[in-house]
Amino acid sequence: MFSLPSILYLSALLFCIGTYGVLARRNILIVLMSLELMLNAVNIALVAFGRVHALGAPAGEHGGQIFTLMVLAVAAAEASIGLSLLLVIWRRWQSIDLRTLCRLNN
Amino acid sequence: MLSPWLEHLVFATVAAGAVISSLLVVTRRNPIYSALFLIVMLATVSVMFMLLDAPFLGFMQLLVYGGAIMVLYLFVIMLINPREGNLPEEGGAIESAFAAGVALLLFSLLAFAISNSAEVNKFAIEGGIPAMAEIPLSHGSIAAFGLELFHNHLLVFEVTSILILVGIIGAVHLTMRRKSSAKNSLQSEEGAVTADV
Repeated sequence: MFSLPSILYLSALLFCIGTYGVLARRNILIVLMSLELMLNAVNIALVAFGRVHALGAPAGEHGGQIFTLMVLAVAAAEASIGLSLLLVIWRRWQSIDLRTLCRLNN
Repeated sequence: MLSPWLEHLVFATVAAGAVISSLLVVTRRNPIYSALFLIVMLATVSVMFMLLDAPFLGFMQLLVYGGAIMVLYLFVIMLINPREGNLPEEGGAIESAFAAGVALLLFSLLAFAISNSAEVNKFAIEGGIPAMAEIPLSHGSIAAFGLELFHNHLLVFEVTSILILVGIIGAVHLTMRRKSSAKNSLQSEEGAVTADV
């Protein structure tokens, strides 16, 4: 059960659930949360690959973990920018519906 | 170090918890329930990191995601206070079915790729992830991790700090109220959006 393919299947499943959330929902907040879900799914795969490739390295190879740390930083920046965009949209249209963004002007 | 069967048990529980809570995240109507289930999901991912011998990342996951990012989300949710009246109406069954179809197609492609990759299946046949004894003892320790981060990946680390700075400046700039637009937004003030980030 606890082998590399099972972790990758889990990661793929979580990524696809996130994809469903991004595609199906119209609430901008939930779309942003689904994006976080997808980033986390990829993080699991990265750490698992890094764990497997530490096998041959003399001092322990942490490439996967360092990549995951960078993804964490990118996720933090993405969340702050995304939420401030959401606030601007809310202030202008009093709505968190993605369809309000279809209109370019008024 | 957990015994193997206990490790399998923990992995199965955590995986099931991650899948269920992420399904709940994308299906709840009220964003506050989504956010709370997302916190559960992030905690399960943190346990998964610890199972994969990355304790530092596990704690970072809890601190940065559970502690900082999710508080930001909850703060924004409380700020705009979505009630039943102003929640957007979701798409119909056709739209959801289309999205589910795309997601299923993507999953079947990924599963096909995983099951056919010789590199991945090497680790399935040999009894899974190599045990702790087979890899260097220092793997995953904060000392080894930090040493490698600051020796081999210093530039990436510094560039990340610039990225975070750009994120801060961008957030402040976007939510800042300008003099000219302040009058317009004052008229529709019931959102009570204070721009002090």
